Amino acid sequence: MSRARLSAENLPTSVRVVLVVLGLGVLLAVPDLARVTPLSFATIHKGLLFGLAAVGLNLLLRHTELVSFGHVAFFGTGAYGAAVLATYYEVSSGLVLLAGAVLAATAVALVVGYLVAGHLDIYFALLTLAFNQVLFAFVVQSSFFNSTDGLSVRVGVDRPSLLGLDQLLVSAGLDPVQAYNYVLYYLTVAILVVVVLVTWKLVNSPFGRALDAIGQDRTRARFIGIPVERYVWIAFTISGIYGGIAGGLFALLQLHVRPEPVLFAFVSGEILFMAILGGVGTLVGPIVGGVILVYLLDLARFYVTYYHALTGIVLLAVVYFLPEGILGSLPALGAAIERRRRDPGLVRNDVETVVTSVRRSVRRAVTTVRILVFGVN
Amino acid sequence: MLEARNLRKTFGELRATDDVSLQFGTTDGEMVFIVGPNGAGKTTLVNLLTGLLTPDQGSVVVHQDDGDGSTVEREITGLAPEKRVDAGLVRSFQIVHVFEEMTVRENLRVAVLSERGETLNVLSFDDGHDGVERTVDDLLAQFRLEDVADEVADTLPHGDRKLLDVAMSFGLEPTYLLLDEPTAGVATREKEYVIETIAEASDADDVTTVTIEHDMDIVKSYADRLVVLHEGRVFREGDPSLLETDGELRRVLLGVDE
Repeated sequence: MSRARLSAENLPTSVRVVLVVLGLGVLLAVPDLARVTPLSFATIHKGLLFGLAAVGLNLLLRHTELVSFGHVAFFGTGAYGAAVLATYYEVSSGLVLLAGAVLAATAVALVVGYLVAGHLDIYFALLTLAFNQVLFAFVVQSSFFNSTDGLSVRVGVDRPSLLGLDQLLVSAGLDPVQAYNYVLYYLTVAILVVVVLVTWKLVNSPFGRALDAIGQDRTRARFIGIPVERYVWIAFTISGIYGGIAGGLFALLQLHVRPEPVLFAFVSGEILFMAILGGVGTLVGPIVGGVILVYLLDLARFYVTYYHALTGIVLLAVVYFLPEGILGSLPALGAAIERRRRDPGLVRNDVETVVTSVRRSVRRAVTTVRILVFGVN
Repeated sequence: MLEARNLRKTFGELRATDDVSLQFGTTDGEMVFIVGPNGAGKTTLVNLLTGLLTPDQGSVVVHQDDGDGSTVEREITGLAPEKRVDAGLVRSFQIVHVFEEMTVRENLRVAVLSERGETLNVLSFDDGHDGVERTVDDLLAQFRLEDVADEVADTLPHGDRKLLDVAMSFGLEPTYLLLDEPTAGVATREKEYVIETIAEASDADDVTTVTIEHDMDIVKSYADRLVVLHEGRVFREGDPSLLETDGELRRVLLGVDE
């Protein structure tokens, strides 16, 4: 993982500044892009929210090297935190709903984190999965959470208020639904930027380095005086809080919270996959992975019956061809293109390599068929 | 002074540590070597002292200076390993344990940050502590690792990895350093170099070292005191010249019949 980090750091500062500005520009332009292209604004928004949760998951994955299979638990807790406030306490302020989401997710992450912090590898993965499923089952069974029908985030028929900014747009002549979605989107972008900056600061601080140490050699970390369990607990809680923020925003976006999309363990796997798809060794890779995967799943629903098979196929493709993820592979890809630009002769080598490997596969297939048909080669 | 009092540890039928009482650091910067045949309980003893194992019976005690010249006893038998580091007790392992994906400098930095109690700090950058960087530079020089400072640990030759492991331990400013076979797996011509570097550092910082070692030439030239373990018990304790003069000891240790 540090190899990916090193290669990303090798990019010249100017290139990095251009990339950051470009990324921010695209983020801010999404609503306008969606208007002139067939891109779905709501889907991208949803993708960003899951991407935000994946950034949190990646804190554990990349630094403490712990694989959580239950991360949607915090996303769901956040979403339900907001929904409970709206449904039972008639809270209509979007910010208060969001605060409720964060509070609920923090509480659950503290408890679960405390119970799993001492475990490693497969035990950690299974325990997080188990807690996720317990939470799911609890919500589905509970009439307080209105079982599978879920809870509304509206008070009466009204959408939550977003600091009055949406009203401002409405009075400027915008459709109320559109105004609400725009304001919520830019709120998401602002939060996303803050979270990415905070994470960047966190992972480059002494605490971040201690988490790296824990991930790379837990025994040694303990014997240089790092209280391993306590630090894993803290990292786990932070990562859960990210999930809670994302879930709260998701509740505000969907205006209705049901258990399957926000609590089912399958979605935990998807969040994990988003981080891998975008690039575990990168800071914003999980966001890119989130948008791409959510978009892919939403699109595929219309074309393929078993659209979840698509996740599997994409996952296989990433593991075999882009093990560093989409963003993580960019520096290596850029370097390879640069080399070929300087020395076009390399392209011929590439073609030769491809031709040889295709020829070898064909020959192997022919041999296999011969053996199957004739019994001998 | 670090003291083991009547330590016992059994694994099933095996008495790995059987009523061991020892004192380390009776003089400043003392180098004690623990020797003994395979299965004598050397590593178990170090594990008991550093908290990787808890003893069935007995206690581990450090004698600390309380500031006005007198010493106070502090029992650390039940203390977690990371807490023992605060009490000045640091160890290295038989198999090198370093942070494989970090560079040499980053490895040392995280150890020194931990020693300074900075690892919960999220407001600064990890490489932004001038005092820490100075200490890291000193360690690099002391352990002759300057040339490889920016190499990633898992690409280093074995001897340098051993030195890095020990350098990290020194970065924790130990009072007692327990080294489990620091020269294991190191090429013969580099062994002397590794142990000499450790001896110099221990001398410079007045660190009491407790070293498990199989190479008797090294023991003879560097030991201030020798502890021989056999079948979990202290078999001999004293001057390293015992290795030459004690026939029974030679038989146990080297299988030499005289």
